[in-house]
Amino acid sequence: MGRYVIRRLIQAIPVLLGATLLIYALVHYLPGDPVQALAGEKRADPLVAEMIRQKYHLNDPFLLQYWNYISGVFKGDLGESLTGRSVTDMISEAFPYTVNLALVAFIMEAVIGVLAGVMAALRKGKFIDQLVLISTLFVISIPVFVTGFVLQLVLGVKLKTDYGVDFFPVSFNEEDGLRAYLLPAFVLASTSLAYVARLTRTSLMETMRADYVRTAVAKGLKRRRVIGRHALRNALIPIVTFLGADLGGLMGGAVITEKIFNMHGIGGLLAQSVYQKQGTVIVGMVTLLVMIYLITTLLVDLLYAVLDPRIRYE
Amino acid sequence: MRGATQTKWIVAATAIALAATACSTSSKSSDKASSGGGTIAVQLGEPQHGLVPQNTAESEGAEVLGAVFAGLVEYDNKTNEPKLRVAESIESADSKLWTIKLKDGYTFHNGEKVTAQSFVDAWNWGANQDNAAEGLPFFAKIEGSEDLAPGKDKKPTTDKLKGLTVVDDKTFTVSLTQPFSQFKTMLGYNAFYPLPKAFFTDPKTFADKPIGNGPFEMDGAWEHNKQIKVKRYENFPASDGKAKLQGVTFKIYDNLDTAYNDLRADNIQATDKLPISALSSVKGEFGDRYIYKPESGVGYIGFPIATNPATYGKPEIRKAISMAIDREAITKTIFSGTRVPADDFINPLIPGYRKGAMGDAAKYDPAKAKALFDQAGGVPGNTIELGYNADGGHKEWIEAVANQLKKNLGIEVTTKPFEKFGKILDALGEKQYSGAFRMAWSMDYPSIENYLRPIFSKVAIENGSNYGGYVNDKFEDLLNQADQAKTQDEGQKLYQQADDILVQDLPYIPVYTYMSSAAYSKKIKNFDTDAQGRMNLDEVELAG
Repeated sequence: MGRYVIRRLIQAIPVLLGATLLIYALVHYLPGDPVQALAGEKRADPLVAEMIRQKYHLNDPFLLQYWNYISGVFKGDLGESLTGRSVTDMISEAFPYTVNLALVAFIMEAVIGVLAGVMAALRKGKFIDQLVLISTLFVISIPVFVTGFVLQLVLGVKLKTDYGVDFFPVSFNEEDGLRAYLLPAFVLASTSLAYVARLTRTSLMETMRADYVRTAVAKGLKRRRVIGRHALRNALIPIVTFLGADLGGLMGGAVITEKIFNMHGIGGLLAQSVYQKQGTVIVGMVTLLVMIYLITTLLVDLLYAVLDPRIRYE
Repeated sequence: MRGATQTKWIVAATAIALAATACSTSSKSSDKASSGGGTIAVQLGEPQHGLVPQNTAESEGAEVLGAVFAGLVEYDNKTNEPKLRVAESIESADSKLWTIKLKDGYTFHNGEKVTAQSFVDAWNWGANQDNAAEGLPFFAKIEGSEDLAPGKDKKPTTDKLKGLTVVDDKTFTVSLTQPFSQFKTMLGYNAFYPLPKAFFTDPKTFADKPIGNGPFEMDGAWEHNKQIKVKRYENFPASDGKAKLQGVTFKIYDNLDTAYNDLRADNIQATDKLPISALSSVKGEFGDRYIYKPESGVGYIGFPIATNPATYGKPEIRKAISMAIDREAITKTIFSGTRVPADDFINPLIPGYRKGAMGDAAKYDPAKAKALFDQAGGVPGNTIELGYNADGGHKEWIEAVANQLKKNLGIEVTTKPFEKFGKILDALGEKQYSGAFRMAWSMDYPSIENYLRPIFSKVAIENGSNYGGYVNDKFEDLLNQADQAKTQDEGQKLYQQADDILVQDLPYIPVYTYMSSAAYSKKIKNFDTDAQGRMNLDEVELAG
């Protein structure tokens, strides 16, 4: 298995190089002048704009720019944004918020989603099953920004102004600790959570019909053991795949949630940088996100072996 | 996953819930009024650059700099006339050589005295192209600026402006290349703030924690994307008025809706930018604490006179278009009253504005417009195009204008969205786009000149906002005469004559002027905003 992991990690290098080159090229050939984008609704002074272009070597040919960038990256320097800030600083400031948010969301998604799915599957057709089916359908059909704004208004503003309960902050404050993450994480997790619940329900119901589960039941095993050790473990394989892929998605896809709750994480920074055509910042972050994807998919692949002893890697 | 049963899930879930409640007991410190004024939190957007006055050309950084620095002049909040602040006097006999004397008592927050040298050093730095400071164009009027900013691929030959001379600690003179009667008004702009010695030894640290000479000093460094904290500067001269509050936290938002919700929940106490979604409810919720007043911006429709003279070359055609636009309807219906119909090229807040200066041209008169349009021979192909940037909420009003023109002039009108403002500029600059376009201007300093030269003069084709390529020698001539006037008033009259030429020529047509909106919580009083919509933080007090 060690060799398998090393092979996977080596494979990651060309993926990373290819991804950065592609993104760098995409940003470079986007129409529009990044220096003008900085100036907003006023025209950038031609001389100042030119000096900024020279300072950041924006007049160099594309491949030279990429080479300068990537050789910097190998020296551990992610470059500087056009506003003069170090990209490493920008990312390391934004990253913890997004990681925390994604982790809390991920836990909610896994815990609540799987739990709801299991309960629904075990009480098929009963009230709890109907409740899970209807509520997940409801969540899936409402766009995230609506859920976000409504929850913010109801739990953040109204609860405080009308009832004096100041539990859910309207916007993100680090000082609020974990509490600050709950609402945004729930909003971020909501759609995936619904999918996980439905996926778990179907998957578990199918596994319950499998021969080996019938055998386990026939053996006279306790219901809890049948479900926990035999059925659920197998049923979890597609769910783990989904969750693994989703963790990367949570990190990159937090744009809307972060914006609603004023968390200045990776999502917001990425959106802002794309808007301002800040190539170095975008590539730095995308590199990081690609790495997270690679690592989580590797972890998912390794988890299969834990869940299903028949799967082996060498 | 071995043995991971439901019990474990439940334990984990309970742990999260417990941890969450444990944190909930901490209360916000901003709510507590401590001795001597208390602290508040207000809304801000992330400033774009380091907080160096000479390198700040955008509103968010300027808001913070306005609290941390004090300029030579400031502007009266009602009349927008310049008032002396750090300057004891600013005088000139010929509008070319200016003598500036400073008041006593101003110090930087590190204790260093504010001297004539502090200003001269700061301006020299800003004028040097090697520093690529965004305020650079503001120093172009000072003698010797071309030596510090010789242009692309050239190196500055000196690092000192020839036109700046320190006479003594409290006095310096400024010699301009051309007389400029409005120079004093310009000096309130943040590019003209002084800098302490500490800046030049470590500009990087300064950018995150500027050392100013204003009523507030930085309370810790700028926490990027989070907040900027300032506290009252105790050694600020009493004559200028110490800040009443003990401290202000600028909380950084990139979403105005969230900031507004925080204001409603009293987590912040003021915002000078309200989201569009709030406009319908803010009056009811905030009552007197909702401020709604004219602001210095102007919105135009511009014409590519140089690129497309066949369509837009005739002033009569431009006038007909102007008269076929129902400004009243657009400001009322599309903008629900957040804009005001324009009737002069000068914003109503600016000294020198004349009500109704545009006369007929700004009056909605479809019949006359149509007659004038036909008389002038119409436009080739009977079509015109209106371009706008799709990123700034302009679609609705441009389409309304298009419909009005279609109906009132009987022509085909198409609209063309550009994804960003910069892309219209590129297209106009490369002469690839020959349709009319939306444009807007917001002032740098409250002078009538600032609404004329940067937008309609010949030099503004290269360096400013004259995207239509409009040139009129008489207009240029009047601008120059006005610059050379001996007094501001005399200058103002001549600028008004230049304005009259624009009214004849209509290179752009002003459509509306902006209104600014702000709101604040019950917790504070004496809150107001200026012509650029900025907060007057040093006068704000806690209520009761």
